[in-house]
Amino acid sequence: MPTITIDNKEYAFQGQPKLLQFCLDLGVELPHFCYHPALSIPANCRQCLVEVGMPVRDRETGEITRNDDGEPVIRWMPKMTTSCSVDMADGMVVRTHRTSEQVERAQKDNLEFLLINHPLDCPICDQAGHCPLQNQTYKYGPEGSRFEFLKVQKPKKVVLGPRVMLDGERCINCTRCTRFTDEVSKSHQLTIIERGVKNYPMTAPGEVFDEPYSMNVIDICPVGALTSIDFRFRARIWEMSSAPSITVTNAKGANCSYWVRDNLVLRITPRTNLDINEYWLPDEDRAVWPRFNEHRPEGSQVRMAGALKSVDWEAAYARVSELLGSVEGSNILFLGSPYATVEDNYLLGKLAASLGASAPAYIPHVEPGAGDGWLITDDKTPNAEGCRRLGIHPVDPELVRARLEAGEIAAVYVLEDDPVASGLFQAADVQDIPVILHTYHTTNETIAAADVVLPAAMVVETVGTYVSVDGYAQRVWPAKAIRGVNRTLRMEMGISRPDSHGTPFDRWHNESNQVNCKPSWEMLPAIARSMGLQEEDASPKAIMQEVAQTIGSFEGADYESMGAHGVRLAEIGATV
Amino acid sequence: MPSPSRNGATKAGDWRNYERVLLPPVRDLHRFEVYVKHGGYEALRAVLTHSKKWAPDKVTEAVKASGLRGRGGAGFSTGLKWSFMPPVDPGTPRYIACNGDESEPGTFKDRQLMEYNPHLIFEGILIAARAMQIDATYLYIRGEYVDWIRHMEHELAKLYAEGYVGKRILGTDFSSEIIIHKGAGAYICGEETSLLESVEGKRAYPRIKPPFPAQKGLWGCPTTVNNVETLACAPLIINRGAEWFAGIGAEKHPGPVLYGLSGHVERPGVYEYPTGMLITDLIEEVAGGMRGGKKLKAIVPGGASVPVLRADMIDGVTMDTESLREAGSMMGTAGMLVMDEDTDMVKFLRRVTRFYHHESCGQCTPCREGTGWIENLVTRIDEGEGTLRDLDILMDLCDQMEGRTVCALADAAAWPVRNTIQRFREEFEAKCRQSIYAMA
Repeated sequence: MPTITIDNKEYAFQGQPKLLQFCLDLGVELPHFCYHPALSIPANCRQCLVEVGMPVRDRETGEITRNDDGEPVIRWMPKMTTSCSVDMADGMVVRTHRTSEQVERAQKDNLEFLLINHPLDCPICDQAGHCPLQNQTYKYGPEGSRFEFLKVQKPKKVVLGPRVMLDGERCINCTRCTRFTDEVSKSHQLTIIERGVKNYPMTAPGEVFDEPYSMNVIDICPVGALTSIDFRFRARIWEMSSAPSITVTNAKGANCSYWVRDNLVLRITPRTNLDINEYWLPDEDRAVWPRFNEHRPEGSQVRMAGALKSVDWEAAYARVSELLGSVEGSNILFLGSPYATVEDNYLLGKLAASLGASAPAYIPHVEPGAGDGWLITDDKTPNAEGCRRLGIHPVDPELVRARLEAGEIAAVYVLEDDPVASGLFQAADVQDIPVILHTYHTTNETIAAADVVLPAAMVVETVGTYVSVDGYAQRVWPAKAIRGVNRTLRMEMGISRPDSHGTPFDRWHNESNQVNCKPSWEMLPAIARSMGLQEEDASPKAIMQEVAQTIGSFEGADYESMGAHGVRLAEIGATV
Repeated sequence: MPSPSRNGATKAGDWRNYERVLLPPVRDLHRFEVYVKHGGYEALRAVLTHSKKWAPDKVTEAVKASGLRGRGGAGFSTGLKWSFMPPVDPGTPRYIACNGDESEPGTFKDRQLMEYNPHLIFEGILIAARAMQIDATYLYIRGEYVDWIRHMEHELAKLYAEGYVGKRILGTDFSSEIIIHKGAGAYICGEETSLLESVEGKRAYPRIKPPFPAQKGLWGCPTTVNNVETLACAPLIINRGAEWFAGIGAEKHPGPVLYGLSGHVERPGVYEYPTGMLITDLIEEVAGGMRGGKKLKAIVPGGASVPVLRADMIDGVTMDTESLREAGSMMGTAGMLVMDEDTDMVKFLRRVTRFYHHESCGQCTPCREGTGWIENLVTRIDEGEGTLRDLDILMDLCDQMEGRTVCALADAAAWPVRNTIQRFREEFEAKCRQSIYAMA
């Protein structure tokens, strides 16, 4: 196998990797700005310079020439070269800043150049705290600057499009943004204008940067030049915690991080998953963050004397038990949900089976033509595939209406959906029968007809599994706290700085800032038990283990194998 | 009478009786009819019809044997460059990008050639196209040369009509196109890989090399980039032989060359003479001596980017790569800037740094940021507010820029700074000492 020597240490390699990516994969840090693994290599930031040499070979024999000590004689390239653009070759010898003063000096010089016209406005810059320029200046930069002139003034607060704003003077001309629009999204909406030190990214005259993937340039901008209009100045990196998760706006299962401050989701950014969304996220996946904060219900409610009254959870479960117990099991319509996790749907199916009802069905939410063949799908739910694999199929609206009219449905149990808004039935249609509703929002139109309202935890508050349209089973972690759940233990929630250092006076620790809801995987067993059924209180992990062991189409889908990037399930045939 | 060079050898030969071949004294030579009447396109005809004598590789061999070096500034062997083209692959088009995007201060000789003898360029392009089996040539002309573009388009249309360009040229089975491409008006467009980007319709940013244009040029296909004056030499080599060409001027850098003389001389202009001319002959005899009888102070031999030479450094120095390298400068484009004793070298450098600051494309950090910083420093010194420390910083910045960018613009911007300060340091120091912020 060919080998390369980096800083006197030999490594074997395969294929034809570029030096910088190889070093990054190895964990050998090389500072860089313009390089991005998904984009072309312009080598323009000049930060990743290294010294590169090749062993001298005898022209006739091809043997490596050695010196008196038996060491190979190295012919060094006359100039330093950018490691991002160097193709590795067998026998290549590389000196980085760890072993070469020349490289160390070049990195320092380059950072001095980068900073002369860059505003030192870190205290007010959104990128502060996770800015590569800030970090690398700290690690590799000069101690001060010799620049004593006015900095170049470039346009400030330029609205490039509905979601992206440019602060021109912070731009270090890495061209990642323009390369993204040229090479990845192919909208070609951004270009570099002006020349030399005055240049900055801009739209063509009359163009608006409004492509459906525009906000990715914010993520890949190494400095704070491109910012999100809706997130600008809202929070700093050190004030937030982030949780790895997936987006639930459509069926692609794009990996993302939910960023939370004061127990509110403030932004959604992509998380790298080369099999699903690579490094990108469509704008529509990011724009939904208010949904996790607004119109959230406050505890369970039961209809008494025609009006919904807040009751405690036990009372709500008792009412559910009473309502379901009063009707024939086979006459209960169970509606699963493509918004809910596999675990929740599975438990609903179990409950239905225990009561002698037929398998739940789900309401599909498909917008034909809305997909783009990339990260946006026609299906606007995250788990239709998971439902299908559980044997939960799209509901037949005609049949439901006929059964309702015939009086064959004596109760309706809805898991995390809104049948009225979806047009499955009208509130008046179910006026005389009990309706139990697991809901996310107080805007759910089915609440008007519900007899018991059970606020359910959303994707950012629960643990569970979703199966993407391509068959990837992926788990999510809670990003924000809900009332009454030990999030750090049972829900595997990451501990953020406020968790560790917050005081009882922080809103994070204040219960009034936490939604009074529960994950459905906690509610459904409690309801089953209140009806006298044997249902253990199990963690989502155990539930998923059971699913993986009992349902063939979920084979191998346990939390260990899913890890952070999911597991692709075997294809299943079309089911009726 | 032959002029002695520094080492006593004759270089330019009998330049006083030199017969002009690039810009011959023929009235209306720019017109197709006149050009043909004076033997034009005979070299092309010979190359296309004597397929044994002038097989494509033999044309390249002849150019190699002539010793022709590129006239665009870098001075690379033209024949060798042509031989870098890979073997013909029927499915892959091959291109020439002919570089007429001169825009460096002091360089204005391509314009003269395009005005007076455009058909020599066209003929050279077609010979090169034959030698390298080229499908199409993009003749990239500086956008500001509006008149010359129009004129050359007019003449090119005649060539198409007469069957000299296009399908089955002169009734042979050789076909090749010529497309005139107007430059977008930036110095960087003349850098060979930026030129390719510009032809492709993109912003002119230099490309990383390797791959070189011969492997991956226009639209990823094999491409050779040559200057217009370089290609104009091809018909001369075919017509008169490689030996004739190799016998003109300097041994290792032979051939006729267009000297662009400007600055404080009596008769500035473009002059055709052999390479290897004594700089003193060029100034004193060709350009009519220093303007107003002033004393010579400095020259820049080949366009603003090459190192400046003090008057006392040019004794016996000839205009060819070897001699100029020995003297501490370069041939570049042979566009010589001549400065008299009254020239303020700080002001000169200020103007040069202004140019490079303005023209840096902004792709690479050291050039984008460094060119502006050095202009700031030189301007401050010129305006009487500099310090001696500024001179040290300037030298340091040259170190920080040279050899650390994709293309050579950073080098081109740093060399004049380094050399002007080194060679005229007393002037810079004097200005700094007068400064209100004087130190030391």
